[in-house]
Amino acid sequence: MGQIDLLKLETIVGKNNVKADPADLYIYGSDSSVHTAMPWAVVRPENTEHVQGIVKYANSNKIPIITRGGGSGMCGQAVPVNGGIILDMKQMNRILEINMPDVYCRVEPGVVDDDLNMALKPYGVFFPPTPASSRIATIGGEIGNNASGVRSVKYGATRDAVLGMKVVMANGEVADFGAFTRVEASGYQMHKLIIGSEGTLGIVVEATLKFVPIPEFRCLGIANFDSIKDAGKAIGEIMASGANPSMLELVDSIAIKAVNKTMDLGLAEVDAALLYEADGMVVEAVDYEINKMQRICKKHNGKDLKASYDAAERAKIFMGRKKLFPALSKYDENLASTSLADDMAVPYSKMADMAAKIHEVAKKNDIVMTAYGHCGSGCMHTKILMDTNRKDQWASAKKAITEIYEYVRSVNGTTSAEHGIGISKAESFKIEKANSLDTLIKIKQALDPNNILNPGKMMQAAEDWVTATDLRYSIKS
Amino acid sequence: MENKPMKTDNLKKWDKTLASCIRCGYCFEHCPLSKYTNWESDNPRAKIIMAHGLLSGELEPSTYIAEKLFSCFFCKRCEAACSSGVELTQIFLDVRRDLLEAGFDVPGTTSITNDNCAACLICVKECPHEARSILNNVVVTDSVKCQSCGRCVEVCPAKAAHLGLDYGTSKNELNIEVSDYLKNNKNSKAIIFACNWSYFPDLQSSIIETSDNKNYKIIVNMCGGRLEKVTLLEPFLHNAQGVLVACCPDGDCEHNGSEAAKSNVLYIKNLLQSINMDPELIKLVQIKHGDKTGFQAEIDIFMEKILGNK
Repeated sequence: MGQIDLLKLETIVGKNNVKADPADLYIYGSDSSVHTAMPWAVVRPENTEHVQGIVKYANSNKIPIITRGGGSGMCGQAVPVNGGIILDMKQMNRILEINMPDVYCRVEPGVVDDDLNMALKPYGVFFPPTPASSRIATIGGEIGNNASGVRSVKYGATRDAVLGMKVVMANGEVADFGAFTRVEASGYQMHKLIIGSEGTLGIVVEATLKFVPIPEFRCLGIANFDSIKDAGKAIGEIMASGANPSMLELVDSIAIKAVNKTMDLGLAEVDAALLYEADGMVVEAVDYEINKMQRICKKHNGKDLKASYDAAERAKIFMGRKKLFPALSKYDENLASTSLADDMAVPYSKMADMAAKIHEVAKKNDIVMTAYGHCGSGCMHTKILMDTNRKDQWASAKKAITEIYEYVRSVNGTTSAEHGIGISKAESFKIEKANSLDTLIKIKQALDPNNILNPGKMMQAAEDWVTATDLRYSIKS
Repeated sequence: MENKPMKTDNLKKWDKTLASCIRCGYCFEHCPLSKYTNWESDNPRAKIIMAHGLLSGELEPSTYIAEKLFSCFFCKRCEAACSSGVELTQIFLDVRRDLLEAGFDVPGTTSITNDNCAACLICVKECPHEARSILNNVVVTDSVKCQSCGRCVEVCPAKAAHLGLDYGTSKNELNIEVSDYLKNNKNSKAIIFACNWSYFPDLQSSIIETSDNKNYKIIVNMCGGRLEKVTLLEPFLHNAQGVLVACCPDGDCEHNGSEAAKSNVLYIKNLLQSINMDPELIKLVQIKHGDKTGFQAEIDIFMEKILGNK
């Protein structure tokens, strides 16, 4: 353990808000990624003053601070690569204000996304980013990661939904960034920079968020395709047509087979399926969008077309997509589903080729990979299924991932659409951002000269993600 | 018992399953322990991580770890929410077996018997999990079988049984929660007691400080049957206008809790009537598992009624 004064930490936040038992450190050493590393202490601040106190102590003693929300990050963003203090923000969980006349709310970073939406629901509005992990993801984590989800194609990502924030900087001082108004002209939009910085530039202690009306009508449709290339063409044409889907999801043949194999849902075993949704306040407008998307699917040989406004029927249509995670976990008892190279984005015209590339690379490297995702926003998700106990499978995964990211960059795609960079995607990120890395490094140095805020992530991460930290599996030779 | 090196004879069969947990964290949204302490270390994912640590040898067994792993109310919400279909509670039980074998015998949330026990054996007969037995004239608990349902606590005439750790589910803690809330929220009209096996439509892990459209508080306990009569009365002592008790439909409760809840609510109804108060100020509703919408509808109907009464 590094040099840390537990008594000092207890003086700042209270004895009940500090943990340092080896079991606690082991637990807090991992998140939803493949990585694990031991922190030196876990601290749970209850207010801004607590955060300031801990940051000032850490900055004076050059101790790393890793800010953590729900621990649902998939790239190791909350894993303490260099040890240090985990700052568990879940106790700063108050919804401070819901201001309907000015259409914003103020929250602390530990507020859970679903809880915020539960609180907003009586007002007929919602906070739109809604990542799949919204039941446990905190607003602070979503800001750190610029999270988004299935409906981001229409409503945008977290960066589009934050008006301003209060941030504890690396020297312990508080800075207010952004504004309460919808527009703000010149001046560095620092809150936009903090969003997606993975806790490396400052610690968000309060956020001012936009919300939007909950739509009156929602209609979900499905189209099956015998060729994923046709599905890809439909995606491109839907997005180029000016259609405004609230969801546009692709599911590939492996994903469909996995769901059928493990859940017996009787899905048609086609090459690909597209799920398309429209929502709005006027049913005719929703109809217009759905009909437009159906026509385009049909034009590109989409079949078995159906759509429904009924909630139960929509749940049935979405079931195959919803059950994908558990299906992949149960696909083969010797294979575990890992979060690696799982959220690249490519131009619409390359979605089908991306899926084909994923299948080709997986086969070549003796691993199983699916292709699915929020194709309306260009995001392609994958899961790598492999025997995580076998060292050679990790080598295969690494080779496959390297090849996949080479393809992504070659078609003007980007390394991560939703899940962030952290440790496991840093290698590709650094290649992709080669000519802007120097600027990013200078920004980090200017705002955090002692490099205490979540060091070892993004541009600071090790070259080889496999050896950057211990992996959280029992790997045998 | 002295501690000895931990073997993992029971745990080792879960090696692949532990790897299949994707650590998404969906398991802890409704975990009562997790919500009570708000520490990652008390949630189901943490137990899986500790199990992996013990199996891989990366963690040394300790009393602290044992306390965590012997703490669970077996509501199985974690299993229902698991995105990978992991049988979490079965893993917890196998870790318990290995920890016991290594000498780590701590109660956690399991039942403890104190010196008041007259060995009447009512609890032995009533335990739905066959976790209570008599050994050398003393009633003992099998801490692997015990699912902390609280049936023994409820039936013991000598008040000799209690849970080692109660995570806010004891009578005293519930009464304090009720009284604190009603004292600090003078406009509140009602307390809604929800069972953790039923569904509760409310914020899970966050707090909204000011709310101008809500005049009740939902308090989640482990089972409607475990709400003692004094707890059902407590809100009325602090000027609440109503108490709604949610429990499971007949036949769904694994520990006869619905019957106990019905009986206790009826008792309070009779009591209210005997002092010329409207017995309808307390109401019992039976909520199907997961029926969030139905529960909210019952709350709305009840609130409308008691506000109309005023």
